[in-house]
Formats: sequence, structure tokens, C-alpha cells
Amino acid sequence: MTSLKLNLGPQHPSTHGVLRLILELEGELITRCEPDVGYLHRGMEKMAEKLSYIQYLPLVDRIDYLAGFFYSELLCRNIEKALSLELSPRVKAIRVMLLELNRISSHLLWIGAFLMDLGAVSPFFYAFREREVILKYFEKISGQRMMNNYFVFGGVRNDIFDIEEIERFLEILPHKLDDYESIITDNLIFKKRTVGKGVLDPKIALNFGITGPNLRASGVGYDTRKKDSLYEGFSFSPIVLGNQDSWTRYKIRILEIHESIRIITQAIEKIKANPELNNNFINPLNIVLPEGEYYSEIEAPRGVASCYIKSDGKKSPYRLKWRTGSYYAVNLLRKLLVGEYLNDAIAIAGSLDIILPEVDK
Amino acid sequence: MDINKFKEIFENTTTIGEKIYIENNLAETVKFVKENYHFDILKEIIAVDNQENGIELIYRLYSAENEEEALLATIVRDEVESVCNIFDSAYADEKEIYDLFGVRFVGNQELKRLYMPEDWKGHPLRKDYMENDERLNWND
Repeated sequence: MTSLKLNLGPQHPSTHGVLRLILELEGELITRCEPDVGYLHRGMEKMAEKLSYIQYLPLVDRIDYLAGFFYSELLCRNIEKALSLELSPRVKAIRVMLLELNRISSHLLWIGAFLMDLGAVSPFFYAFREREVILKYFEKISGQRMMNNYFVFGGVRNDIFDIEEIERFLEILPHKLDDYESIITDNLIFKKRTVGKGVLDPKIALNFGITGPNLRASGVGYDTRKKDSLYEGFSFSPIVLGNQDSWTRYKIRILEIHESIRIITQAIEKIKANPELNNNFINPLNIVLPEGEYYSEIEAPRGVASCYIKSDGKKSPYRLKWRTGSYYAVNLLRKLLVGEYLNDAIAIAGSLDIILPEVDK
Repeated sequence: MDINKFKEIFENTTTIGEKIYIENNLAETVKFVKENYHFDILKEIIAVDNQENGIELIYRLYSAENEEEALLATIVRDEVESVCNIFDSAYADEKEIYDLFGVRFVGNQELKRLYMPEDWKGHPLRKDYMENDERLNWND
């Protein structure tokens, strides 16, 4: 049989950005897959070497526009560590609350988009309805729906308010999730397209550097929040499921939203117990990090994200490097799609929650 | 570096975030660490251009079992052994470093431009990227 070379993307609605997959097919069976990325490259790391830290801060939200808070937090964390800026309890609790709300909004978008990939249109609207509440709240407190630029070195830009909105939202969200589950989880068509598809062995996942929900769906309980100083004093447990397929990767995100609700409830209690904001600001125009190397790490919705800064004692970093979860998930497609059928390719790629601005940086 | 000597240094390193420099046998050492100490994730490879001191590569290894991190570092000029046979995630990292720094990884068959166009000149994250570049003379 002659093999066929098929070009999937870069302008395909299901590639979540501009991802191009070069597939080699024998019949409908994929024999080789080569991802081609770089269509969204903005030179984030090169730009950092020319800008001062406060000039660079608004840019980092754009690395992953669906989870901007996480990247702001990474940069802030490095600088707070280098200059030993202490965060007040209220700032810490606000940050945890916003990070987890951001995780929920990111997972909700994924649920909608993934089901859309599989041809189910209505869950997309349901998920966006709930996500809208979170984005409206972000807009209220920071002025931006997605790229918030709200965390500043030493604190947050201004105090939060209208926290009852979030409390009301957290009360209804579990019922909404149950609604989703009643139409999705045991749906026969959904199960036929996801159960047993895209099986990711934990050994392969580790070898390919996969982290986050994708790794935990393969049965490895690695969650950096457990050792994170920001999450100290919060009781939660990382969700680990062991079925390794696309369906498990869907289920684990639903459960993670439930876990995030638990964390936010505790964070709101802490916010109420600490009424004083006490930002620990420094003059942002004169930030100079002492010579040395700094690492920071966080559990972002798409896997472990980290930021490395090498400073030579000047106003801008000597070298700044980002690690993003999606970059390794794209690389995994070379392995995961081989041996699958073409009509499953979109379902499997979608289940890994790839976001291309994060890959291209 | 001899594996036994490395083993001695590696086991005596307790400070978190301390880099262990490896002069040669990089791939062999990484394999040794992976197999003997359960460092099963290569989180990332960081490249830093230190100009006259060469390019520094930092390998961040993580053990999900023991919840430990190890940093292995090496200084290269423009060629180094690839570790893509040991960690598949290195394909991605090495491709990026080749594109942005111009380090050639011997043994990685997939080295080509990643972010930059295929006919791009130079490697953008090198510190001497724009020196002697023809584009600087375009206005003359």
C-alpha cells in the first residue's frame, strides 16, 4: 500500500491555535507524525534581555493567555525570592484564590473546546456560560478579562472586592458540573471516541516530560502544589486516576475543578480573616536582582511551568527561560498518534490540552 | 569525568539548586543518574550563552518517586552529545537550543529550525547575534 502524506493544520479549528501536524498515513492508520510549531513565536525570551523587569511583567500573561495569572506569579516569585520580599497573608490568599479561579476557567474552556472537537456543540456554550462569571470578576478587579497584569512584585495591584460574587458562584458551580457530567461523562458516543483511545503509559509520559493533569491521568501523583509555599496551610489532595486514556484526562479535569473549589473556599476564609492588604512594594523602576540564578516553579493548568532567571546585576535579566507544559505535550504527539486512526487524531490531540502560544513563547 | 568520581560528588551534594558540572561523558552520566537514582523526568534543558566562557547547558532532572531535583551542567562550545536516546523530551529541548543558540547535538537526527524560518541566519539568543550582521548595513 502506498503511504499518503497529509498536512493537518495550521489553520484547523481543532488545533487550538496554529499547530501543523504532518501525518503519514497508510489507509487511515497513522504511521508517522511530525508536529511543526513556531507560527506564534513572539520572542518572549529575547525580549526579556532588553526590557526591565517591570516592563516585562505585562508581557508574561501572553505566554498562556488562558492562564495568565500563573506566569505573572512565576516572574513575581523569582523577583520576590531574589529581593527577599515577604508577602502578607492576605496577598497570599488573594493570589491562591485567583490562581485557582484561573485554573477553573482554563479547565472549563478545555472541556468546551474538547467536546467541540468531538462534534458536540452544546457543552461549549454551557462551559463558556460559567467561565464568563469568572472572567467578569477578573475584569472587575483588574480591568482585563484575560491578560490581567494584576500581580505585582511584592503584592497585588489593588485590593479585591465583591467577594460574595465568587462565593455565590462556588455554590452553583458544583451543580453545573453535575449537569455537564450528566450529558457528557456516560454519553455513549463520547465514550466510544475516548475510552481506550490515546493510552499514555506512565513510563512514556515521564520520559516525554509530561506533567500536570495528563500525567496524573496516567497514575503518577506528581503535583507541585504539595510542596508549594504559597499553598501552605491549605488542605487538598492531588487527583490521581489510573486509566491512562482520553476519557480519564477528561474526568480528571472535572475532579480538579471540584478540588479547586475546595481550595478557593479556604482562601476566601483566609481573606476574610486578614482584612489588611499590606502590599510590600518596592520602587519598580529600580529593580536590580543580585547576581545569581533563580528558579521558580508552579503547577499551571497544563503542567509544571517554571521560570529561570540569570542575573548579572543589571536592570534586565542576562537570560530568562520559560518551561511550559504544552511544549512537551506537542512533542508527545509524535509518539501518541502513531498506530491510531486518523479520525482519532483530533480527539487525542485535543485531550492533551495543548495551547499554542505557550508552545511558541 | 569518571562515573565513580561523579557518584561520589553526586551523593555528597545536598544543597538544593547546586549544579554539578560534568566535563565529558555527558550522556553516560545522565543515563547513570536516571537508572540508579530514579530521576525519571528531564524537566528542561536550559542554555545560557556566557560569551567567552562558552555555552552552559543545565539539565534539570526530577525524581517523581523521591521528590528530589538534580541539576547537571556542562559547558559546551558548539557541539555536545545528545541525550535524546535516554529522555524523549530532550528531542524538544535540543531542537529549541539548536534553533536559538546553534548548539549541535550529536546523535539527534531531528535538528532543524523550530521557531525561525529555515533560511534564517544566526541564532537569536546568542549574545553576539547582531554583531557583523549584514542586516545592520542595509541603510548604508
